[in-house]
Amino acid sequence: MNLIDRYVAEVGRHLLLVKGRKDIEKELRSTLEDMLEERAGKSGKPADEAMQTELLKEYGAPHKVAQTYNPNPYLLGPRIYPFFVFILKIVLFAVTLGLGIATAMQIASNPPMTGVEFISAVGKGLLNILSACIAAFGNLALVFALIERYAPAADFKLDEEKDWDPASLKKEPEPNDVKIWEPILAIVFTFIALSLFNFNPQLIGVYHLQANEWKVLPLLSEAFFRWLPLLNVVWVAEIILNGLLLRSGKWTTGSRLFSAGTKLAQIFIIIMMLMGPSILALSPEAMTSAGIADPEAAAALNQLARTAIKFALGFAALGAAVEIVKSLYKMMTQR
Amino acid sequence: MANTESLENVVLELRRGVIVLAALSQLGAAEYGYSLLKKLADLGLEVDQGTLYPLLRRLEAQGLLESDWKIEESRPRRYYVVSAEGKKLLPKLKKEWAGIVSVMDKMLS
Repeated sequence: MNLIDRYVAEVGRHLLLVKGRKDIEKELRSTLEDMLEERAGKSGKPADEAMQTELLKEYGAPHKVAQTYNPNPYLLGPRIYPFFVFILKIVLFAVTLGLGIATAMQIASNPPMTGVEFISAVGKGLLNILSACIAAFGNLALVFALIERYAPAADFKLDEEKDWDPASLKKEPEPNDVKIWEPILAIVFTFIALSLFNFNPQLIGVYHLQANEWKVLPLLSEAFFRWLPLLNVVWVAEIILNGLLLRSGKWTTGSRLFSAGTKLAQIFIIIMMLMGPSILALSPEAMTSAGIADPEAAAALNQLARTAIKFALGFAALGAAVEIVKSLYKMMTQR
Repeated sequence: MANTESLENVVLELRRGVIVLAALSQLGAAEYGYSLLKKLADLGLEVDQGTLYPLLRRLEAQGLLESDWKIEESRPRRYYVVSAEGKKLLPKLKKEWAGIVSVMDKMLS
């Protein structure tokens, strides 16, 4: 076997799944022999191994030569990729929603759980959703890769231009327009918060079964309720602002400043809550005596809850800060 | 350096666009891959083997070329020639090309 034979065989090894491999090898050998013969003729001496080496070096690495014959160099080509992404989004949403509901129902139908058992069940549910999403991604990629390989382009035109009408373009939203659902949602949720924290604070807590009777362990401490009057002012201000926005349908410089002011007040309250005594009323002792968890688990759970509340407050402050920046930016750019 | 690279890339793109027409125009009479490669080079169009051979196979798969193996000088060679369908397409491609040349001439003059 000379160098050319070995080269052709190596290219062939990279073409195992390509149709017409033997034909390609035969044509490649014939071309290389033609080229070699021409070189030998020009140099006036018979072709030797050094000449073959030089020729093959110029022709290129076998895997690169093989690559040029590959009709499908991509797993998913540009013809099919946009449709793959479209279907993938739907599938991942459906899998997450379906398994999320299934996990919630499973947790709800189980006998009362301790806090640790609950966290473990939620964790397992999330892991299930994650692995199901990865499996769905893999299966979908496999199906689309098969379509890419075996469905002729003529039978599977995804990018075919349909009669397209420019009128179908979405209208550019007016930057100062208020999306109607935003103030409505804000008013509804602020009312719920107002009535819950002011008139039904006993409902905010950890629910557990004790001697076949539902009991509630209060979640929030006195430290939280000390800030309630100021929170009420902010909430009422937000209801008024959202009512005005709903009526006018437009943001103005005044309403943006008002909104930034309420957010600033929220940040102030949150910072004071973070700096002052804990707003969490739940103690390990109370949890143990209520039978929610054993002392060790209750201590761990309590620590977890304290950290979680700090994070939640931190994120709320961050969210409010982002809203302030957005308000000020829009106020300056869209006057 | 970046300029030379950009120029090379653009020239490569331009050439890639004309290789199909160049190959079809020179395959009225049967040629094997290497002889076509040399013919194109002699006419001033240098084409890489890695571009030409897969292109010939693709044009054959599209029905624009036909091929046949012949034994010459004790060596098998695959000869390509424009098919009936290719012959019908070629004048249309030539017309398109003339249009492009005319437009570009106007733009660049």
